[in-house]
Amino acid sequence: MTVLRRTAHAEWIKLWSVRSTWLAVAAAAVLAVGLCVTGTIGTVPPADLAAFDAVGAAFGGLTFAQLAFGVLGVLAVTTEHASGTIVPTLAATPRRGVALLAKLLVTGGVTLVLGEALAFGTFLLGQALLDRHGLAVRLGDPGVLRAVSSAGLYLFVIAMVGLGLGALLRQHAAAIATLFAVVFLAYGAARALETWSYLPSRLLLSNAGDVVGQVHATAAKPRLPSMRMAYADLALYLTLALSLGWFRARRD
Amino acid sequence: MSKRYGGSTVVDAVTFDVRPGRVTGFLGPNGAGKSTTIRMLLGLTTPTAGRVTFEGRSYRLMETPLREVGALLDAATVHGGRTAHAHLRWLAASNGLPKHRVGEVLGRTGLEAVAGRRVRGFSLGMRQRLGIAAALLGDPPVLILDEPVNGLDPEGVHWIRSLLRDLAAEGRTLLVSSHLITEMALVADHLLVIGAGRLLADQSIQELTRGHATLEDAYFAVTAESTQYRAKQGGVR
Repeated sequence: MTVLRRTAHAEWIKLWSVRSTWLAVAAAAVLAVGLCVTGTIGTVPPADLAAFDAVGAAFGGLTFAQLAFGVLGVLAVTTEHASGTIVPTLAATPRRGVALLAKLLVTGGVTLVLGEALAFGTFLLGQALLDRHGLAVRLGDPGVLRAVSSAGLYLFVIAMVGLGLGALLRQHAAAIATLFAVVFLAYGAARALETWSYLPSRLLLSNAGDVVGQVHATAAKPRLPSMRMAYADLALYLTLALSLGWFRARRD
Repeated sequence: MSKRYGGSTVVDAVTFDVRPGRVTGFLGPNGAGKSTTIRMLLGLTTPTAGRVTFEGRSYRLMETPLREVGALLDAATVHGGRTAHAHLRWLAASNGLPKHRVGEVLGRTGLEAVAGRRVRGFSLGMRQRLGIAAALLGDPPVLILDEPVNGLDPEGVHWIRSLLRDLAAEGRTLLVSSHLITEMALVADHLLVIGAGRLLADQSIQELTRGHATLEDAYFAVTAESTQYRAKQGGVR
């Protein structure tokens, strides 16, 4: 435990002593807040008020912020391999499992806190802007707290998928390209398959992220996973990416 | 220990002891297996056969290895965007070393003035000093330095010679690799010579040079059959 705590402390210093971390966090915050403002400020009250998703309207920027989170997760690992810092890292913490676990705990903790901060921050900002049109919802309204906290959780999951891919592939370009493929390209592929089956679409990470961040039930849309399945999707991606990364890290 | 990659044997049944209180030089031509051997010492490469122990313990099982073995591997293994101070600070934290050690090793390696600068702007000599600072951080009884003279200016070369002698005089165990024979002649007490993956000599400088005009002559005699990249004609005896 002492070894893990010390290694985690070292990872904390490493994370905040390079500019890329600050840039990724700043990029995520600017995108999330900027698109939250543009997505809510000019809202015209819709004809069907019941169908209006006041939470989703505030989260327009999170779709883009997720990329910054994913890249942050990738870079947490690949930077070590690209810069050669992996050598002193393993010299200081020779147990591979402990070295990766410490990185996972620190990056995971930071992205979970930042993800929730962005989700709650943009929610509150968005509702303040929507309130002028009488469209705002409150955290206490049914399903709202769950949706907002899950949107933050989704950002954490994306960062961990990035970290897992980084640990598996060890190169910036390969890991970021794979992350983009998982998040964006898979969407088009799954759409193309919808003629035959909705299953690929229901298994998409981005669709799962959309569903858990919404208040309204999506039962009316067969191409999206149910709420329960969406959470299972997130758990699946998290487990799969981290297992693959763990497998590679333990092997040398 | 031995290391095979696919069909080729890079390190072939090399066995040696390194004793405290003196500088043990580790010499060999390019591609002889020096770096692979050093990586195996630190558990960065797993030997195909054999094992390495420090006072009977394996590196990969150490909880605070920086307190036991200090290593300089490749000076290019530092993140360019980090300052020298931040690099040493995370290393210190990883092994629970007190913060004041960072200032102390920066002082001992002459890097105080540039401690707050990003490593990206460092010359090779400055990076080398930072690598040595990192090796000294845990005040370890054992030091393994791979090509520490690389990239140092004449003043730096002079500095590292006296540093190595001082560290040995403090009773530490030093294993210093180099391909610069003249440099080894000046600092080492004992020499290990490796060629084509085999240990060719494990002797004091006096024993090795006996019967030869210079250490260089002795080295060429020992490695005559194992040098892969020697020029066909002229140049070398």
